[in-house]
Amino acid sequence: MLNSLKLTAAIATVMVATALPGAVQAQTAPKVAVDLTTLTSPFWTAYNKYIEEEAKAQGIELLQPFNSEFDTAKQITGVKNAVTLGANGLIFSPFDTSAAKTVLETAAGSNVKVVAVDVAPDTGPVAIVVRADNVAYGEKACQYIGEHVKEGAIVQIMGDQASINGRDRGNGFRDCITKNFPALKLLEIPTKAWSGEDAAAGLETLLNSTPDLKAIYMHAGGVFLAPTLQTLKRRGLLHPAGEDGHIVIVSNDGIPQEFAAIRSGEIDATVSQPADLYAKYGLMYLKLAMEGKTFVAGPTDHGSTIVEVAPGVLEDQLAAPLVTKENVDDKALWGNL
Amino acid sequence: MSVDKNLGASATPGASLSMGRVAIARLRDLALLPALVALVIVGSLVSPVFLNPNNITTILTSSAALALIVLAESLIMITGKFDLSLESIYGFAPAIGAMVVIPAAQFGFGMELPTWAGIMVVLAVGGLVGFVNGFLVVQLRLNAFIVTLAMLIVLRGMLVGATSGRTLFDLPDAFYGLMVITFLGLPLAVWLAAVAFLIAGLVLRYHRLGRALYAIGGNPEAARAAGIRVERVIWGVYVLAGVLAALGGLAITGYVGAISANQGNGLIFTVFAAAVIGGISLDGGKGTMFGALTGVLLLGVVQNVLTLAQVPSFWIQAIYGAIILGSLIIARFAGGQVQQ
Repeated sequence: MLNSLKLTAAIATVMVATALPGAVQAQTAPKVAVDLTTLTSPFWTAYNKYIEEEAKAQGIELLQPFNSEFDTAKQITGVKNAVTLGANGLIFSPFDTSAAKTVLETAAGSNVKVVAVDVAPDTGPVAIVVRADNVAYGEKACQYIGEHVKEGAIVQIMGDQASINGRDRGNGFRDCITKNFPALKLLEIPTKAWSGEDAAAGLETLLNSTPDLKAIYMHAGGVFLAPTLQTLKRRGLLHPAGEDGHIVIVSNDGIPQEFAAIRSGEIDATVSQPADLYAKYGLMYLKLAMEGKTFVAGPTDHGSTIVEVAPGVLEDQLAAPLVTKENVDDKALWGNL
Repeated sequence: MSVDKNLGASATPGASLSMGRVAIARLRDLALLPALVALVIVGSLVSPVFLNPNNITTILTSSAALALIVLAESLIMITGKFDLSLESIYGFAPAIGAMVVIPAAQFGFGMELPTWAGIMVVLAVGGLVGFVNGFLVVQLRLNAFIVTLAMLIVLRGMLVGATSGRTLFDLPDAFYGLMVITFLGLPLAVWLAAVAFLIAGLVLRYHRLGRALYAIGGNPEAARAAGIRVERVIWGVYVLAGVLAALGGLAITGYVGAISANQGNGLIFTVFAAAVIGGISLDGGKGTMFGALTGVLLLGVVQNVLTLAQVPSFWIQAIYGAIILGSLIIARFAGGQVQQ
């Protein structure tokens, strides 16, 4: 394995050397294009970092990743540019499933292998999807809050409802609360484009109508953690876990700042979205796919399961652990790296 | 209920006062008031806590940062120019100010200047960007709309580049001061916005310099003939607007508790919406600070009411837009003026 890795790296280096002076040699140097949904959220910047590290570790040549900024048109243009630059493989995140079809057709037309990360497209062709189940994120948060709060008002601070991940987390949480914990009264704060300002303004307003709020679920700690804590601090409602009047807070992402807040008791838990594993397995599968390998449903060697979520669409459902005070120092969590 | 009514009256103290003083010709500035009053009534029906002093504080607090940047844009619009880059200054200036203070381990520049110097840098960066904008518009005679659009993109990109897209957490306390320090129950940012609007309003109405802004916006050639140093005034307004936008950015930093590389992204639409529904003309030379302020408050009240009403999240943007449309229609009939 190590030898083949070295070999690939060596080949890649040679290819770069030969490719540099002349025109783009599309089919000779295996190159990978990476699409980033945004560069301004802690989760995505971490993912970008892991992509670069993993590409080095796995000996894959990366084109400069392109930033789609949650814009379907930019994503399609980015993919077309990547094809022009001679990409043989593509890792992308179809935040909008309508764009996914165009992207996948563009890629398939140029014989580019595709691995989807974070979001599953509705239809193929896609080598495999690497993601964690976002509905399960919402359910995990719901279970934790349901176990720790018996009755009263709770709120979810929601991601953009035009995005599949925002919707999945919102629906997962809402359905689970209404089904399992009828004594909890669910309030919601929608935000436009995951805006922290909307989160702060919404939470402050709800604290006026519902001063005895019992729990908060944030769809994304990267953007909502600071405004939520700042608002509670301003209202004198930020009591660490264990003190009277503590509001149970569950976050979502697994960034280092959330872990710090868990250690200090300001928040109770977070769902760790595996940014490192997204990068690692996304690139691994893509490399195999470019070598002509295909995948089958069933358990994997890294503790997850490949499921056929739609006809022809395989998905490796990675685990997204719930992090609490008990396991916050676990070295396996990417937020601790 | 009677308590609520009293509070309702005290929520808009300026309304009845200025109503008596202002001549009919100035009705345009008050055109939005009926819509605002209607919204306040709807709000109090939707939720019993709407008129609660805490909730009024919430509306004012959440509007303070927007108020500062709308003030900046209004001044520029009155002189007949545009500055789209204000939304980028709103994120860029506080971020640069923070990065010269915080250690490199927290993604700073590693300069670790004292906090007060960082705050100065925030304001200086705002002023500097305004200065450059002014130079491009006044000296090079470039189109203000296009130039500041380019500046918006440049600054946004520089912010993402400087921070590598990362969010700046755990800033020194002074960066949150505008929202954390309170006076008579209201955060400093609210007082700052109120005083800034008051001064701007008085200067525009009574001072030679303020009248010069209207003159320039109405007809720059005539203003020049009347002895107004048109270029210098416009340039000065750009610098002032840059500083005000930086202050607004500092206020929102205190509100949100961190600076993301996205801070202010897309805000300029809201800024124009607030200014224009408040009666500031897109063609320059028309509009007042009081009008712009009612525009800001209207948007703040709408967002507050929608949250209290727990409108289904999939519909909230559509309803938000519909309410603004409705307010414009009410303003049109109440003010009898054509919106420009």
